[in-house]
Amino acid sequence: MTFLERTTDARRFRQWEGNVEADYIYTSGVAGERFFVALRDDGKMLASRCTACGLDYLPPRLFCEDCFLELTEFVDVPPEGRVAAVTMAHLDRRGTPLSRPQVWALVTFEGIRGGLVHRLLVPPAKARVGLAVRAKLKARGDRVGAITDIEGFEPVRS
Amino acid sequence: MRKVGVIGAGMTLFRRRLQETGKEMCFEATKMALDSAGLTRADIDMVVNGTAPDAFDGVHMKGEYLLDGCGGYRKPYTRVFTGGGTGVFSSIAGWWHVASGLADAVLVVNEEKMSSCQPHPQSVFAHIWDPILDRPLRPNLVWIFAMEMNRYMHVHGVKKEDIARVAVKNKRNAVGHPCAQLADPKITVDDVLNSEVMAWPVQRLDISPPSDGASAIVLASEDFIRRRKIKDRAWMSGVGWCIDSTMWTDRDLYFPEYVARAAQTAYKRAKISDPRREIDFAEPYDPFDYKELHHLEGLLLAKKGEAPILTREGVTERDGDLPVCPSGGLMGVGNPIAATMGQKIGELFWQLTNQAGKRQIPHEVHTGVAQAWGDLMPLWW
Ligand SMILES: [Zn+2]
Repeated sequence: MTFLERTTDARRFRQWEGNVEADYIYTSGVAGERFFVALRDDGKMLASRCTACGLDYLPPRLFCEDCFLELTEFVDVPPEGRVAAVTMAHLDRRGTPLSRPQVWALVTFEGIRGGLVHRLLVPPAKARVGLAVRAKLKARGDRVGAITDIEGFEPVRS
Repeated sequence: MRKVGVIGAGMTLFRRRLQETGKEMCFEATKMALDSAGLTRADIDMVVNGTAPDAFDGVHMKGEYLLDGCGGYRKPYTRVFTGGGTGVFSSIAGWWHVASGLADAVLVVNEEKMSSCQPHPQSVFAHIWDPILDRPLRPNLVWIFAMEMNRYMHVHGVKKEDIARVAVKNKRNAVGHPCAQLADPKITVDDVLNSEVMAWPVQRLDISPPSDGASAIVLASEDFIRRRKIKDRAWMSGVGWCIDSTMWTDRDLYFPEYVARAAQTAYKRAKISDPRREIDFAEPYDPFDYKELHHLEGLLLAKKGEAPILTREGVTERDGDLPVCPSGGLMGVGNPIAATMGQKIGELFWQLTNQAGKRQIPHEVHTGVAQAWGDLMPLWW
């Protein structure tokens, strides 16, 4: 009776192997194109501004989710942000222990709606909410226009 | 049950690949629908999203992902999914939100971004099969349709050229559609018959290719429509949906019994006793040309085996006695699965409110029926 037995090895039964393979190409969209090109070429982050409610969206969006207007105005995100929350990852996605914990943070910017999740480039003991940080970018020639053009966030004063 | 009307509709271009993200496409369609109804997002009580498998866009739980583009921010929001049937079924979900009295004004927004999936969206269809009975044989979805088409042709003695006429009609009808991907004013029956064989009897031009796109409609209660003095509205007088055996091998392939049952439910609700006489035009689901014929018979608008004859005689042309797919359908406008709501429910709204432009049926029409098919079998009108 299957319900009453327990096995961790499906191969004990008659079985077939399968693989749901799937590959994708994602477009960054109209607003995303502006964001990633500015990041790659000018090394800066853009937000899109809703002139109706005054919100500046990071990452920039084509539309204000509240007012439902198309956003065409872009503003620079302040270079300095703050850590809003942190976590130290001890296991990888498969549950294998990492050789050293990874530090991840949610970084927000004054006056900007939203924020970015990224690596926090400090030792775990130094990771804390409120830390003033800025983006550490790859060198101009290594940037391709992707979120990984940002290596992580580092303290403004170390 | 309260009376429900469609008061606005919008849709994006349908293209093989669009730069816009799924959210951005949803925003464009939703904004158009709101503008056409003369409403803003603040007027909307609830939002329904319809979108097909996550595997197409390549985003898991894409209903949540698309929420902001659908106008769902801080609103009661639901995603429904019934395969290709989503093209009509999400409208039915919107209908029950309003008919039940839960909401006065509802947005229904459908989306598909199939170009994300590489090398072809067909590749993820490989995973809809039974993993033990079917997948070891490495089947292709087109095989099922080919066998269904073959069975339909065999039972009624239908000629391939009479089926090809549907592709020709719809691709020509789509010439007046501003969103169309596949309009072709010069296409002939021979073009269809000479196109590449994919899985006999299905040839390249018998099938609508995948696409990117979004569509949206606004539904409202009779009371809301009166209060806001909204002039352009099309009433949803009946809805129905039905599913057959989960095993396609157990179905009667030559006749879609599930469509007939869904249609009977909708006709009963709408107090229609003689659909062929009381319905002025139809938007049946046409991902393949033969499917339009199959579905017309399921909708009881043609006797079994009669739909190819009606097509040959020109009855289903835009200026015929029973115009079918005046939008250009999936065959002519394109097939971003769920977003085909634009050619089905959207077209009914545009035709019934005299806003179909070059596609407007030349004679007066009062009642239309739209239908979509997927794993589930919904129908609307
Ligand atoms: Zn705003």
